[in-house]
Amino acid sequence: MSGDNFPDFDKMTPADFEKYLPDFFANGDGHVSTDPRLQTFLKNNPDCAALVRDLEAIAEHAKSLFEPTEPSDAVWSGIQDKLKLQGPEDDELPVAQTV
Amino acid sequence: MDVQGLQMTQNTPAPGVFKRNPPIAGEAEAIEAAKNGDAEAFSKLYALHKRRVYTLCLRMLGNVSEAEDMTQEAFLHLFRKIGSFRGESAFSTWLHRLTVNLVLMHLRKKGLNLVSLEETINPSEEDAPKRDFGSRDLQLTGSVDRVALERAVASLPPGYRMVFVLHDVEGFEHNEIATMLECSTGNSKSQLHKARLKLRELLRQPEQSAQPAGFNEVAV
Repeated sequence: MSGDNFPDFDKMTPADFEKYLPDFFANGDGHVSTDPRLQTFLKNNPDCAALVRDLEAIAEHAKSLFEPTEPSDAVWSGIQDKLKLQGPEDDELPVAQTV
Repeated sequence: MDVQGLQMTQNTPAPGVFKRNPPIAGEAEAIEAAKNGDAEAFSKLYALHKRRVYTLCLRMLGNVSEAEDMTQEAFLHLFRKIGSFRGESAFSTWLHRLTVNLVLMHLRKKGLNLVSLEETINPSEEDAPKRDFGSRDLQLTGSVDRVALERAVASLPPGYRMVFVLHDVEGFEHNEIATMLECSTGNSKSQLHKARLKLRELLRQPEQSAQPAGFNEVAV
């Protein structure tokens, strides 16, 4: 959505804000709370400002879920077992013994 | 979906993924050796990438058992197809794409038609986030616990979780997600927003969103 489709930022209602919030996030690099066009509205609508801060916090903390987790040893064992059971056309595949 | 074609296409990598996947020492040599059937090279590639692949599966599926099965499938697929890797994108990006496509195929086989997120994986009324702003005294800012967030993400409806993980965790753009899930970018934005609203709701009511440790038996 282009900025031209947004409502008048000075006359925007909380309902308008809620409607366009996904686009505000998508168009503003995820930083709605610092969008200069929204500062007056957010100052006058603290519940909307709180919502924005919460959603930004969730998005920010989501990055921590990128931290890798170790799979169990059963995964590698399963891979080895399945490779051993391959058909003749797959016999060229090696079966690694250690990780 | 033609997984083979999708997973082996070396498109421009997702910016977020690419930035998070710098070249790994010894990886290039291991790839070339693995192409020639070197078993130890396969072992090395597994050791280098197992955690990223497994974590991606776990986040997307929200279930340890399924995540381990899909990790296994991803590496079996990798072992069979590594000869087609031409190095036009980072190996980790290529493997990441392969894994995402396998998980999406798995979900489709389970009956989740991701072609139309609007009609098939939108949550029921009770799963949908409540449309209220909430009170300010329950702000989450600065106090989102990682474990609580993991559990909340695992308990999201599948459509919400998929878009949230791909965008907020894995760093894909909405247009990339739309291509992967065969939906509109607007739908991707909408699903992401609803996912965040639902997470906010869950995180503000931790006693109601609590799941057994390890994401076991979360409906997908």
